[in-house]
Amino acid sequence: MKNDTDEILLTANKLRWEVGENFHDSILESIYKDASEISSKVVIQDGEKSKFDLDRFIDRIVTGKWTGFPIMFILLAVVFWITIVGANVPSGWIASLLVDTLHPLMKNFFNSIQIPWWITGVLIDGAYLAAAWVISVMLPPMAIFFPMFTLLEDFGYLPRVAFNMDNLYRRVGAHGKQALTMSMGFGCNAAGVIATRIIDSPRERLIAIITNNFSLCNGRWPTQILIATIFIGGTVPAYLAGLASAAAVVTIAILGVLFSLIVSWGLSRTVLKGEASAFSLELPPYRPPRLLQTLYTSLIDRTIFVLWRAVVFAVPAGVVIWLVANIQIGGLSLAEYFIHTVDPFALFIGLNGVIILAYIIAIPANEIVIPTVLMLTALSTKMAMGAGAGVMFELDSVSDTANILHAGGWTLLTGINLMLFSLLHNPCSTTIYTIYKETKNVKWTMLSTFIPIVMGLLICFFVTQIWRLFVA
Amino acid sequence: MDPLLALLIGVLILVMLYFLFKPQRGLVSRLVKMKKDRSRELIEDALKHLYDCEYKGVDCSLNSISGSLYISGERSANIISMLEAMNLISNVENKITLTPEGRSYALRVIRVHRLLEKYLAEKTSVSETDWHVIAEEKEHELSREQTNKLAAQLGNPLIDPHGDPIPSESGEIPVRKGLTLNNLESGKFATIIHIEDEPKEVYAQLSALKLYPGMQIYLLENAKGRISFEADGEECVLAPVLASNITVYPIVEKEKVKESFETLSSLKQDEEAIVVGISKAMRGQQRRRLLDFGIVPGTIVRAQLKSLSGDPTGYEIRGATIALRKNQSDLIYVKRVDRKLVA
Repeated sequence: MKNDTDEILLTANKLRWEVGENFHDSILESIYKDASEISSKVVIQDGEKSKFDLDRFIDRIVTGKWTGFPIMFILLAVVFWITIVGANVPSGWIASLLVDTLHPLMKNFFNSIQIPWWITGVLIDGAYLAAAWVISVMLPPMAIFFPMFTLLEDFGYLPRVAFNMDNLYRRVGAHGKQALTMSMGFGCNAAGVIATRIIDSPRERLIAIITNNFSLCNGRWPTQILIATIFIGGTVPAYLAGLASAAAVVTIAILGVLFSLIVSWGLSRTVLKGEASAFSLELPPYRPPRLLQTLYTSLIDRTIFVLWRAVVFAVPAGVVIWLVANIQIGGLSLAEYFIHTVDPFALFIGLNGVIILAYIIAIPANEIVIPTVLMLTALSTKMAMGAGAGVMFELDSVSDTANILHAGGWTLLTGINLMLFSLLHNPCSTTIYTIYKETKNVKWTMLSTFIPIVMGLLICFFVTQIWRLFVA
Repeated sequence: MDPLLALLIGVLILVMLYFLFKPQRGLVSRLVKMKKDRSRELIEDALKHLYDCEYKGVDCSLNSISGSLYISGERSANIISMLEAMNLISNVENKITLTPEGRSYALRVIRVHRLLEKYLAEKTSVSETDWHVIAEEKEHELSREQTNKLAAQLGNPLIDPHGDPIPSESGEIPVRKGLTLNNLESGKFATIIHIEDEPKEVYAQLSALKLYPGMQIYLLENAKGRISFEADGEECVLAPVLASNITVYPIVEKEKVKESFETLSSLKQDEEAIVVGISKAMRGQQRRRLLDFGIVPGTIVRAQLKSLSGDPTGYEIRGATIALRKNQSDLIYVKRVDRKLVA
């Protein structure tokens, strides 16, 4: 028996040499050949294709030399416009319910049943407020942006965008579909990272994951708009203010796209050089989008999923935010100690201690960075603003917000640097966790976390020194 | 701090970091390389060199070892005495030969090297010119179990991407008969079975010509100083020095030789053609992906639409539209046909 098997193995080994290395290919090819022969015999195709092919007509327009880009930009701009304008109203409703109404109610209730003030602080002012804030600012834009994006995808337009953009992405070693995951990142980076599943080549997918954070996400647009309005809009005559601040925000977003291309290029030539890569892109036929299904999948799969992760991270962060502002040693809170320690370094690179601390403790969501900054500024300048230490707040009036920031020592340079740093800093914890979930690799997670921080600190440093050299 | 000073210091630190951490030639990677124990590496490289000499039928000396390993004569004398002590070589009257144990060790190292090259070609996107360099470095790091695991992962391949046979685990290596291209007569058909990957400069030139093992060629002219042949429908001219790095196997039956074909990328919009084959230069995952789309001999493809910037192009393949980049469609061979004849 033993001899028989040995003999068979020996013969097999000899034969392997004789059949040659193309053996696998030949088998595969002959299978396809047989299959197509059989199908050509038994499958009957009805009628001739009609002269006017709608798919071809649409394709000609959306990939045309003169029509392709304008259509792409207009569609994207419309999607953003609807998102930003449409999200304002429901955001206001949710905020007035969760933050303005329920928060005081719960606080009063806790006080009335004699619960110690610090428990109320940790639970209501910290954990609850952070979660409420995240929901109210995150939910409406995502619930509007994702369904619209999914509709375009379902219709068949998005693969054509990837097709049009591929040449650019090929040059930096990436996949055309990265244009889509990047646009998705404008809605939410965590969702953008999940969306990279559409890229089936391992190397290109990793590039798309690591560079997704360079898309200015939903949580950072309000920060950009607020800071641009206060600092950039303030430098020009009133009738130009709106235009100037809008231009500044768009510049930051375009800068983000540029950085994502540069970093993609660098990654594909260094750390990701050896990862496997295979390009393919299917252009599916156009079809009428399925409204209800789209609404369901984009709300459940994307919005609720991402929102839940964000809330899970926001709760402990809320606790930390409240604690650092309230735990006092020798009359100074932990937050103030940190701010004073970091201030010399932070001011040197054109930021300040408050910003650095806010970006550390507001890691769960970019949405709560500005409320945290305002709270910390009020705390560190001993200003009687907001609702006390550790309670995040926002002001309805831009000029009041400007007053707080100016009192905190902010200048035009601080504003510009904050805008840059808001673009170039670590992804929020929800995104970091999602990156780990998607790559199952600590190295890539660390890389995607620290590349933007290092870039952000460096760029703030250089901008500040050059500014001081030429402007001030 | 004075901003100008800060700026200068900042730039200086960046430049310093660059030189410290530059991959391959940076200070840090050099230090790591220097600190590494190189004895295993040197022993294995020396054995490989000795095997190479034996294979080519030339004598091997202390000088040729120090030459090929870039080490001093003194150091190679050390290595030789070490190898002798390990009973891997015998040194009689300055003629160094491998013992059977030494030969089997050398073949094991060669096995790892060729498996690594196969791995790099099939599973990664590392460029062709880097395969040898990386394999040369990593071949000393794999244990026997790791090597067998790698071989199993690759489906126990027999031939590396350069066309060299991969020795079996027990150190057997089949001999492939063939002759170097400069010895092929005019008017003969042949298959390339091996392209030597050393020296690196020569290999870079040959791979730039897109020659690959398995490619069928037709020798047009073998004159002094110039060898011209047809490969995939294009005429190539090589100097004999370069041609001697290519091993070919003559083919007798003429009909088996591929005619000259056009590439898929040459199709203009709305033109149709039949797929004849995919170049061997398309490997691994990428090749399987194309086969999955149904790009196999006999499939009709039609160039359907060009992207905004001209690359990629969408092809209609078996009822679906698939976008392919130009560097992919360059490697797919097609034959133009009259649609009526096919139907």
